[in-house]
Amino acid sequence: MRSQSIYKVPQGKLLKISVEYDEKNNIIRDIRITGDFFAYPEEAIELMETKLRNVLMEREQLLEKIRTIISEYNIQFIGVDAEGLTQGILMCKP
Amino acid sequence: MKEQWRLLQTGFNTAYANMAVDRALLVANSEGIVPPTVRFYGWVPPAISIGYFQSLTDEIDVDTCKKLGVNYVRRITGGGAVFHEKELTYSIVIPESHPEIPKNIMKSYGRICGAVMKGLQHLGIESEYVPINDIVTGGRKISGNAQTRKLETVLQHGTVLMDVDVDKMFSLLKVPNEKIKDKLIADVKQRVTSIKHLLGNEVSFKEVAEAMKIGFEEEFHVELIEGTLTKEEKILAVKFEKEFFSTKDWNHRR
Repeated sequence: MRSQSIYKVPQGKLLKISVEYDEKNNIIRDIRITGDFFAYPEEAIELMETKLRNVLMEREQLLEKIRTIISEYNIQFIGVDAEGLTQGILMCKP
Repeated sequence: MKEQWRLLQTGFNTAYANMAVDRALLVANSEGIVPPTVRFYGWVPPAISIGYFQSLTDEIDVDTCKKLGVNYVRRITGGGAVFHEKELTYSIVIPESHPEIPKNIMKSYGRICGAVMKGLQHLGIESEYVPINDIVTGGRKISGNAQTRKLETVLQHGTVLMDVDVDKMFSLLKVPNEKIKDKLIADVKQRVTSIKHLLGNEVSFKEVAEAMKIGFEEEFHVELIEGTLTKEEKILAVKFEKEFFSTKDWNHRR
């Protein structure tokens, strides 16, 4: 199922996330991360979206995966962080 | 002797051409063939630009834009949707390694916004930088800014509001919750301002540009020398307009 969230990151920007959620297996099938935040380099967001496919929709797993991607690809987010992304994704869970 | 940077006054252009020129400047600067450059420009027809990460159809009422003859374009910079009508837009491109540009992104926002604030001061307007990317006066936003760093080069562009029509702006933008749209519009009217509102009279684009020129010169201790786009920049701009900014692929990609 396709599910969306809108999440205002504390002291940050407005995150709008759309997830194709596989309820049976509790995983992300597909994800689109949009909003008025900043990320350097910008193209890293597409990479992040690809890498989040098939990740378990649980706080711990999401947070760890996002932190790993950020550090591996040296991504700098402004107006959002790993916690904010995790929260926005989890809010897509019905 | 003061360092000399280039000043470009490219006048009023379409959203696609405007974004293409900024990207062309970034590429040309990264190749070391042009000095750091400050550009002032406007938008005709009026246009909405959205941030790189935004969903076009989530943010923009495309049908109303078409009906009112308003262009829309996706920027290469992050940030939010902006309605460009009565404003001066600036851009600056400069190597990341330039001593005047802090390595830290947030600090560099503050520094470049400092130039805009000094420019406003020359118009008699006191303002302050409010992180992440706003300049406010009396608690109200007068300038929004967005920066990208590519090819070891900084591009920051931003608006200086000369006048603002919040009702028109909201007829072109979508809001997350239609039920509270009226309240949102009322709130935004309280939270934005413009040169005209603050000074009580219209100030011409030319006057604002003159003040901003001085602002950039003072902030960066340089002399801005008016120049033109190089042949290569023009070719690049035409290419970027055709291949990216005027295409559905680019504008609707998210």
